[in-house]
Amino acid sequence: MNPYYFASIALILIGFYAVLAKRNVLKMLVGLSIMETGVNLLLISVGYVSGRSAPILSEGITSDKAVDPIPQALVLTAIVIGVATTAMALSVVINLYEKYKTLNVEEIRRLRG
Amino acid sequence: MSQYASLLIALPLFGAFFIPILKRISKSAVMPFLVLVTLIQTGIAAWVFNEVYITGKPIIIMAGGFRPPIGINLYIGHFAALFVLVIAVTSLLMTIFSFKAVSVEPKDKYAMLFLLLMLGATGMISTGDIFNLFVFMEITAISAYALTAYNKTGEASEAALKYIVLGGIGSSFFLVGVALIYGSLGTLNMAHIAQLAHLVNPTVAKAGLALLIFGLAVEAEQFPLNAWAPDAYQEAPHPVTAMFSAFVVKASLYAMGRVIYILSAVEGWSSILRLLIILGTLTVIIGEMSALRQNNVKRMFAYSSIAQVGLIAVGLALGTESGVSASVFHMFNHAIVKALMFLAVGYVAVELGGTEINKFEGLGKRMPVSAFAITVGAISIIGIPLFNVFWSKVQLILAALNAQYTWMVALILGASLVEATYYIRLIHTIWFKGEGEKVKESSVLALVMLLLVALIIVIGIYPEPFWNVMQKAGSDIFNVAQYIKNVPLMGVSP
Repeated sequence: MNPYYFASIALILIGFYAVLAKRNVLKMLVGLSIMETGVNLLLISVGYVSGRSAPILSEGITSDKAVDPIPQALVLTAIVIGVATTAMALSVVINLYEKYKTLNVEEIRRLRG
Repeated sequence: MSQYASLLIALPLFGAFFIPILKRISKSAVMPFLVLVTLIQTGIAAWVFNEVYITGKPIIIMAGGFRPPIGINLYIGHFAALFVLVIAVTSLLMTIFSFKAVSVEPKDKYAMLFLLLMLGATGMISTGDIFNLFVFMEITAISAYALTAYNKTGEASEAALKYIVLGGIGSSFFLVGVALIYGSLGTLNMAHIAQLAHLVNPTVAKAGLALLIFGLAVEAEQFPLNAWAPDAYQEAPHPVTAMFSAFVVKASLYAMGRVIYILSAVEGWSSILRLLIILGTLTVIIGEMSALRQNNVKRMFAYSSIAQVGLIAVGLALGTESGVSASVFHMFNHAIVKALMFLAVGYVAVELGGTEINKFEGLGKRMPVSAFAITVGAISIIGIPLFNVFWSKVQLILAALNAQYTWMVALILGASLVEATYYIRLIHTIWFKGEGEKVKESSVLALVMLLLVALIIVIGIYPEPFWNVMQKAGSDIFNVAQYIKNVPLMGVSP
């Protein structure tokens, strides 16, 4: 099996595990970030063609010697979205800590039912 | 000429990015500017609706003049034209409500996020590209996270955190699904995917489709992933709650229906439909059961909204044209009714300070118009004849019988029975309990509510013209062959 696929799926699962199993909100967000990294790695490895170079057409590199450029555009977008989500989540966590004085998800439970 | 329909995306974007400049010039102009932008958006949406339904042909917008599948295309067919109009009208009504309901500063940020939420939902409904769908979904989601946390209370942050964590997981899975589909077909355009769907390895396609559905299920509030929804509905600013329920959910449901039907040529496709039917059924049951024991009226409406969304998902997953049309009809009706109900409940909360059920005692005497609006909405949702939801529930039942899912009739009727229990309890509390002096109601909001009430009753009495529109919109999702034919794919053949 292709090691890139293996590693990226492993990263997604590690991140998923962290989101599900950790009690600390910040650790959950770290898990979320790891998951996004794994997804981005998976996207990039989908477009990899063995033995070809970066898709920048310059001297000596023609379009048949470059890897698939589309996943790179996708990943560029996905990275930015991931950073925006993380920033949003961190600002929420700051406010949460000010109001609840804890980051334990089991104690952040005012909304129920 | 029809390329001007791209203003549907461009206008809210310009509007949102102009707000920080406008704020420097005059702070008090921000909210009127918001009304102006949504008003123009409504005008454009009405023009697009008219154009699409008169010519009967979808408007295809090619970004940058590149033909699909090279470039991104927007596909404004019968469904998109209808729901873009619903989104614009709901947003317009909610901007009017925002004057009254949003008093927390900074209002300019609120206006910006409001426009971005509208933009995201419009984009999700009109896009024809699967990655572009992801981007618009994230625009919607991130503005929704921010708007949920907008009130800056501890509870609002808690609700937003749940939403962000679930939404983050969902969008990651969606992207994995996109990667699988792109990896096996080498295209991201929906029409092109539909054209090539029979070539794809069935295992990969099923896994990809399941991941896409799982990712969209967060926004579409399907069962295992909807824990954020009642909290977010309860804690978000009132106009935003109405927008979540009226169109953010609908956009994701539509996207779900679209990705399912474009891959309908895949082997073993019906197992994915069964998955969605199971999810939708559980959503209905759990939503209704939870709504039954709520003391907070806004939260009760949130659970009721989740249950209705489950019914829509079940209708979409029946796999027949009548099922899809019936769920489009239910989407439309539910958007109207829930916009009305969250508007009324939000207004009561603004005037009386809270949405606990004891605040609603004697509401019939204190705020008669809002009480009347809530009552009409509740009666309509239960599905009583002469109100609009009755017809969509009838169509859903007929579609379920046609598709030989007889037990689904029991599900729909049982759900209506449970709804009747808690809504009639609420109506009883409103009209027959408690006393209180009269509160002066804002005449503009009363007018808006009465307008929506009138719409509910008009559809209830004359469902036929609306049903014709819904059938066209439904076949837009269901009839994939027609969809492929409509998109001018550049010199590619299967």
